Amino acid sequence: MKWLLPEGSNLQFEGLEQPLLIEQGLGGGSQGQVYAVKLAGERLALKWYFPACIARDPQLRSRLQQSIRLGAPNADFLWPLAVLSASADSQGGIQGPQPGFGYLMGLRPGGFVGAHQHAGGELEISLQSVLRACFHLAEAFHQLHLKGLCYKDISLGNLFLEPSGGRILICDNDNVDIDGQGQGSVLGTPGFMAPEVLLGQAKPSSGSDLFSLAVLLFRLLTRHDPFRGQRELAIRCLDEPARRRLYGEEALFIFDPHNQANRPDPIEHSAALITWPIYPEALQRLFVQSFGPGLRNPEQRTLTGQWKQAISHCLDQRQLCSHCGQETFPNTEVPGSCWSCGTPLPAALQLQLPHGRVTAAAGNELHPHHFDPLLGEAIATPLARLVAHPSDPSLLGLQNLTSTTWHGSTRTGQRIELAPGKTCNLSALQQLNSSAGPILVLRP
Amino acid sequence: MAFPNVRLSNRPLHFIYLCDCSGSMAAQGKMQALNQAIRQSLPGMAEVARENPEARVLVRAVRFADQAAWHLAEPTPVQQLQWRDLEAGGITAMGDALNLVAEALQSPPMEERALPPVLVLISDGQPTDDFEAGLANLMRRPWAQKAVRLAIAMGHDADLEVLQQFIGPEPSGRSKSPRRPLQASNATTLAQYIQWASTAVVGAASMPASRVAPAGEPSPESSSNIHLPDLPPTLLDPSDDVGPLVW
Repeated sequence: MKWLLPEGSNLQFEGLEQPLLIEQGLGGGSQGQVYAVKLAGERLALKWYFPACIARDPQLRSRLQQSIRLGAPNADFLWPLAVLSASADSQGGIQGPQPGFGYLMGLRPGGFVGAHQHAGGELEISLQSVLRACFHLAEAFHQLHLKGLCYKDISLGNLFLEPSGGRILICDNDNVDIDGQGQGSVLGTPGFMAPEVLLGQAKPSSGSDLFSLAVLLFRLLTRHDPFRGQRELAIRCLDEPARRRLYGEEALFIFDPHNQANRPDPIEHSAALITWPIYPEALQRLFVQSFGPGLRNPEQRTLTGQWKQAISHCLDQRQLCSHCGQETFPNTEVPGSCWSCGTPLPAALQLQLPHGRVTAAAGNELHPHHFDPLLGEAIATPLARLVAHPSDPSLLGLQNLTSTTWHGSTRTGQRIELAPGKTCNLSALQQLNSSAGPILVLRP
Repeated sequence: MAFPNVRLSNRPLHFIYLCDCSGSMAAQGKMQALNQAIRQSLPGMAEVARENPEARVLVRAVRFADQAAWHLAEPTPVQQLQWRDLEAGGITAMGDALNLVAEALQSPPMEERALPPVLVLISDGQPTDDFEAGLANLMRRPWAQKAVRLAIAMGHDADLEVLQQFIGPEPSGRSKSPRRPLQASNATTLAQYIQWASTAVVGAASMPASRVAPAGEPSPESSSNIHLPDLPPTLLDPSDDVGPLVW
């Protein structure tokens, strides 16, 4: 790679009092290059644009400045921090015919990998982590839309995942604009673009974001594409006109309940047939909605708040198969059988909370929204976690993750005290008074 | 306890180099420069392949001099590819090379379903055989019509007209375009173009990148079936400038 900003150089930029050390080039795309940089001892990332990209997108600089003024919707965005323009001093050090500009942002921490690795099947990741990533994604766009902004280019390429915990980072935030202003030049990424944008009938907006978000959630949850079924098999050369038909003119959801014409092929599209049945019907319905009525009517698309609610319920329902250990998400009234090994799932022990129920399975968590209906769903700061005993995994306990001591009673009426960080054995527990509210053990 | 071991189904993406190995390529280290440029581009190409879950990138190469022959006959996953040096010597049987590629692009051996192939023709001179017949034969194959066809002219003696014919109709206007022969007048520019073709173009042909609409302008690539990425900003090419600096 030829770097526009020489690695190891100290460059002056307008508005920065100190020189910026260009540590190393990290990567390049169609718009520019990204560098690891150091400013006054702090490590940051710098995206530097190609002259062609700046020439094509006259609003780029003002859009970035607007985003910087408005601030990041939440911490999951690698949001622009400052626009940097070459100063008279630094122009000699920058390669290229035009001095140009770029923007500073946080440096992506270790442990995050490109979401394409998940789609490509290269990632070891639990279903719980994938669902958490989906929740964070819905939450991030919820916050972005609440600020009156739209993202315009949601795709697999702009998302990073942390496989162990399901945290996410959203990068390439330079197309973000105030919803409805429609001045930017980006249209989106084919395969993720809403049909009305792909077909040139509309500009990207928060409505088209909702479609792209649904596609990305589907691709994360199934490792398949919502529109690649029988109709893809009929396409010999998958080029742009073919994609326009597949995702635009003739788009049909592969699991459309009323039209079976685009069902997945058992061999070519096996991923979809294996993964789709894993998820509860309440979650599946949201995809049917977004890719059915929502396909042509943006008003009908699943809203970010609906995704958050359905995904957090799904996480609450998580149950481990007693036979194969696989993660399942059964309907608590009619558990059915394990999607992986077929073993019937027994009715599970549950925790009754003032605002919801959580199945007792190692790794499941209790969150503030389980106790207070006025709080929106959020999973970043759990109050308690179900954990297996370190030496006897068959023993399940509830760990107090807060900083206050909880009191409760066992089935035999014995009073117990649960200090911060401590875990109580669920098989003996009857109820707990947590700092957030009561927790009642429901036995099947 | 893990996500099931499945992945998005993918399609092959055939990437074929057509390399001029005529005697003139021995001059001024051109042959070595091409070998180096291709070898250096492979890690980046493998990275793009890894990032594109929708594609299996398979590379082949044809050499042409007195006649054309497969230099790398087996469609080879880019991750496993080790580039063997091409050697120069002979005349320029470019038409013959197109015939070889035409055979490879008929089904079979072409898969029934694939991504658009990418053909990269690199030459420093004029064809000495029946180029027209070779091109006509190639363009009878539907996969060749669907292919992204790029050409790199090495040095100033390359036959730009012939290379343009291979690419297709010349775009209007005078701006630099990937639908014109890319002129590599030195080893650095050659390496940049080879890298661009093997990464940005492979990316565009396998997994569409985010799309930009210049306000008010119809897309200049609307006639094609693949949206080609911007050319790399080459340091030595004044046409990268938005306009002339002095006039």
